[in-house]
Amino acid sequence: MEAADSTAKPVRRVPSGTLKPTTTGLPCTVWRKNWLRLEIESSEYDLLFLSTCLKLLLFPAYRSTDFEVHRNWLAITHSLPISRWYYDTTSEWTLDYPPFFAYFEKLLSIPASFVDPKIVDLNNLNYDAWSAIAYQRTTVILSELVLGAVLLRFIRGSVDPSTQRIISASLFLHPGFLIVDHIHFQYNGFMFGILLWSILMARNGNKLASGILFAVLLNFKHIYMYLAPAYFIYLLRSFCISPSGKLEIKNFLSLANAVIAVFIVSFGPFIVMGQIPQVLSRLFPFTRGLNHAYWAPNAWALVTAADRVLLRYASRSGAGLDINISGLASTSRGLVGDTVFAVLPNIKPVHTFIATLAFQSIALVKLWFTPTYKSFLTALTLCGYASYLFGWHVHEKAILLVLVPLSLLAAERHAYFRTFIIASVAGIFSLFPLIFTPGESIFKVIYSSLWILFVYVPLTRRVYEFPRSPAFAIIDTLEKIYLAGFPLLQVFVTLFPVLVARRQVPVAADICVASPNFTCPEPALHPEGVTAMEFLPLMLTSVYCAVGLIWGFCRLMFVYLNEESTYQGPLSRI
Amino acid sequence: MDSEGLSALPPDGPRKSPHRVRTISVNSMRSIPAIAALRSHSEYERPEILAPTPRQAVVGNRHLLENSATWVNLRHSDSPESSRAVSPTSPGRRFSSLSGHPVRFPTTLSSLQETEHAAGAPPDRGPEQAMARRWIRWMHKRGMKGWVVPSALLASTCVKVCVSLGSYSGEGIPPMFGDYEAQRHWMELTIHLPIRRWYTYDTHYWGLDYPPLTAYVSWLCGVVGHWLEPSWVALDTSRGIETEGSKIFMRSTVIILDALIYVPALLMFTRIWQGSRSKRTQNLALVTLLLQPALLLVDFGHFQYNSVMLGFALLAINLFALGQDLAGAVCFVLSLGFKQMALYYSPAIGGYLIAKCIYLGFPNGGKLFLRLALVTSMSFLVLFLPFLPPFAPISSIFDPMTRIFPFGRGLFEDKVANFWCASNVVFKWRKWASSAFLVKLSAALTALGFLPTVLVSLRVAWQTQLIAPRQGGSTLHIPVLPLLPYALLTSSMSFFLFSFQVHEKTILLPLLPITLLLSGAPMDSTVFGWGVLANNVAVFSMWPLLKREGLGVQYIALTILWNRLLGYNPFRLPSKSFIQLLSLGVYAAGLGLHILELLILPPGRYPDMFAVLNVLISTPVFCLVWLWSIKCGVEMTWALGGLGNVSPRHTRTSLVGDDEKPFESATSSIGPGQGRRRAPFDFEQDLTTDQT
Repeated sequence: MEAADSTAKPVRRVPSGTLKPTTTGLPCTVWRKNWLRLEIESSEYDLLFLSTCLKLLLFPAYRSTDFEVHRNWLAITHSLPISRWYYDTTSEWTLDYPPFFAYFEKLLSIPASFVDPKIVDLNNLNYDAWSAIAYQRTTVILSELVLGAVLLRFIRGSVDPSTQRIISASLFLHPGFLIVDHIHFQYNGFMFGILLWSILMARNGNKLASGILFAVLLNFKHIYMYLAPAYFIYLLRSFCISPSGKLEIKNFLSLANAVIAVFIVSFGPFIVMGQIPQVLSRLFPFTRGLNHAYWAPNAWALVTAADRVLLRYASRSGAGLDINISGLASTSRGLVGDTVFAVLPNIKPVHTFIATLAFQSIALVKLWFTPTYKSFLTALTLCGYASYLFGWHVHEKAILLVLVPLSLLAAERHAYFRTFIIASVAGIFSLFPLIFTPGESIFKVIYSSLWILFVYVPLTRRVYEFPRSPAFAIIDTLEKIYLAGFPLLQVFVTLFPVLVARRQVPVAADICVASPNFTCPEPALHPEGVTAMEFLPLMLTSVYCAVGLIWGFCRLMFVYLNEESTYQGPLSRI
Repeated sequence: MDSEGLSALPPDGPRKSPHRVRTISVNSMRSIPAIAALRSHSEYERPEILAPTPRQAVVGNRHLLENSATWVNLRHSDSPESSRAVSPTSPGRRFSSLSGHPVRFPTTLSSLQETEHAAGAPPDRGPEQAMARRWIRWMHKRGMKGWVVPSALLASTCVKVCVSLGSYSGEGIPPMFGDYEAQRHWMELTIHLPIRRWYTYDTHYWGLDYPPLTAYVSWLCGVVGHWLEPSWVALDTSRGIETEGSKIFMRSTVIILDALIYVPALLMFTRIWQGSRSKRTQNLALVTLLLQPALLLVDFGHFQYNSVMLGFALLAINLFALGQDLAGAVCFVLSLGFKQMALYYSPAIGGYLIAKCIYLGFPNGGKLFLRLALVTSMSFLVLFLPFLPPFAPISSIFDPMTRIFPFGRGLFEDKVANFWCASNVVFKWRKWASSAFLVKLSAALTALGFLPTVLVSLRVAWQTQLIAPRQGGSTLHIPVLPLLPYALLTSSMSFFLFSFQVHEKTILLPLLPITLLLSGAPMDSTVFGWGVLANNVAVFSMWPLLKREGLGVQYIALTILWNRLLGYNPFRLPSKSFIQLLSLGVYAAGLGLHILELLILPPGRYPDMFAVLNVLISTPVFCLVWLWSIKCGVEMTWALGGLGNVSPRHTRTSLVGDDEKPFESATSSIGPGQGRRRAPFDFEQDLTTDQT
């Protein structure tokens, strides 16, 4: 991976000016030159080759309906005028990403029409010829080069390049990206590349660029709004207000204008055409339930699980609990729809909103008083984390919003590293149900284990700290036990459907494994015992991961709020 | 090559024995030192390394370590010494690879290696050149050296699983489908029919035409499949079944069988044949072998079980290297019993075993010969037992035989990069001669093709024959052993080029020995150049097949990945050498052909134009590999057996005095019977690297 670093270390410090926080207008030519200069080491090429070959091999792998979603968007943007993009309903997969992404699809659709005109045929629904698969998968691989390039820049200017190289490599080869982008099919690698670029700019002191890039990112995919509060506070405090507390009008105006300009570029055509309400209604459909089909492992998953358990308890023991009848029906067996609790009080969007903001604001207050890069990174992670844990209708894929910034903190010290490991293991495991076909499942398990191995062993040697008090030792042991539970859980999840299938011979053939779009047959066909158990593996996965993720959140929050101001990690020096 | 020769050897220590001069030390019979400390042998010429004190110290340690370096107990990396990151060529390493045993060498080899040293210092093989090296180095640096092998195995499994996601032979092409359906059909057939009908049931639909072990393995897989889901292997009704579950089941049988047989054999190979190299080099070889693209494509993409046959053959070779000839012979019979293609190896294996018998001399060799004959025929008997008299009428043995050796089919099928198909472009064999004649002709040419290697082995054995044999001879390494990989290459390549009814997939057989050879070779050696060229061309020669089966992406990805892992770059081969020019030319032609194929459609008159061009590019390379392997074999014979009476005594006499003491002390400290086993490849590398 970074075998060459010993030899290369002296040379590595090259990108002058990237480390120094130059407040305004970092000479454009300098960083452009740095960006263009390809100083890629053979070990880094190795990773590129390795990952590209793996991704190529994954071409024929399972792909979710997101593949068709993106194909449909190619068709929409190619064959319809811009005024119809957000109105088209030919397919059920309507365009519901912000305009930059639509433009991006438009760009991709041009070569697509040369490769195979049928790809961009609007009425050619569910087209999955080899040409379409190869083309779309290739665009994912190519667009992910943005991520690779940004991660390289992270190494170049870092305080500890050899550790940063491990972190960069771990992000570039992240199982999350492999599962979500290259099997399931999405363009997260590309967009997280932009996010990391923005963070990189913040590290290099170019906050204006950081803000602009984040605005651009928001116009690619609005889910990054989860992170927006941290950006807002950080840029406001450290860029628009001087350390003495005076408003820097010039900075403020330039940032505000730049961000507004980005939004105008993005939404301009739709403003002119007066389609904003339509676009917004597509972007924010408030008709969904609390939980996604498969409960993303967040706080609400625990609440829902508790409700299920109470319901069982109530129906068994006949305890005097008020049971909401509609909740009985919607037992959230993993089916899409609104979650109605049977025993517990129902959760409304406003509750989730308040909870999210409350937890975010704790971190944001701290960020306001210590607007350093490291603090920003932690607050950013916590912001995404809080949104993930308490948000309304969160997708399990959103865990990447937590894991990616958290990775940058991993080598800071043991406390961060341990949080990173717990969150990564739980987060990646929580992505496993996205991929349910057996062949790909073997791949995801082996690949993720290897990834954890290659990240854990070298980093833990770098940051290890001996537990300083009995409490720490106990927590340490408990965390290890928790992590050791994942292999067992995987074994259970793998074997459970087989065992159930063997026990219930007549329905053996169509035991439904939950799929991301959950087109499972209605359980009416099955004997009652089977249906109740059918989603047990998913529930268990969700709950077990939720425990770890919530613990990771508390841990990170605690570390963030309580870290000695004297502690000097590698990132503190920036 | 006689008494002068002996005087040039390091003296024998206390146990000098009265045996004929041209041999390896008979002493070694008791203390199994084996021939091939030849790399270290070259160190005899280096006075500073032969300084007495350090040798003794190290010898003590090394000896204990290496004693466990057999396949039985592979881990000897716990010692700081062996695990130290020493590059294989560093003097320290070479030094420590010397055991203190009275190892004897025919002097001629030393003269060969003398020239080798004169040619210049060993080239710097820094770890910066190959991806696999960089990775292993990184793992060591990060304190993960214990994880190298497990993670290499896991990663290769990962790649295999990925390849398995792709399409397979005959997917969705009724009514006959392809090799996948053949294998699946055999499972269905074996579990539902009595044994006697296995070879006769509906032979028009993929009748069983592999030897009985395949049938037994199919039966086992079929039983498991039936237990999991009866419809996957239902008789007749399951023909062409392509449900998700059945696909996964079939794919996993390949991966599991591969993991059970081939992967351990590879691991064992690196530990035995490269036992005296550094751990890193062994692991590098393991990575190289695990991800060999041709095998991955055929077994996990196209769908076959070649790795089982190759695994058994490799196990046999490993056991020969350990001196376990009888077990090795059984393994080879199993290999033959799994797929008759293993016959391609049999001249080399048979040659080796006979050579060993000759080498051991009259009583021991004769005994070994009888035992081998007995064990081999018994294992065949057991394999075919269900088709033999107590269980079946004698006539039923002919069913498998006629199915296994289909002389009724044509000279070649499809387009295959061998002599017949390539020459068919200009010379229409089938018009010119009858089928029966062509069978004879091809048999004669094949025999002519592998004859050199057999003769060479026998000659070496004869020249180094033991006159005063001792007990326990069968555990001894014999000088022919290092010849074995070359012999396997020669014989399998000659079968591939000249024999009857060859498929393009059969190139896997010659690829195994050449990949074994290249796996431990330095990156700028000719062996490496030939090995990678042969592998790449082999994959290229299968392109028409892979393209037809929709494995194009896998073809590109695996080839690039493997070449990158090896750090292969034809420009880095010895400058302007034949192999470099050849490689560049072949790659240019292959790339040109691919581009041409992308750009234009074949003209209507020649629909097979690209396949034929492919054959015309690949065949010459395979022929050259074949000739090269013969050349290497002959050169090695000179090294082992001598050119005759030429004895370069002068190269070494001066060192004798120096050698005497350390050897004595070392032997006495070790005691008898504890010799370390030597890695036959060591010297072979040195030899071929710079000789050719």
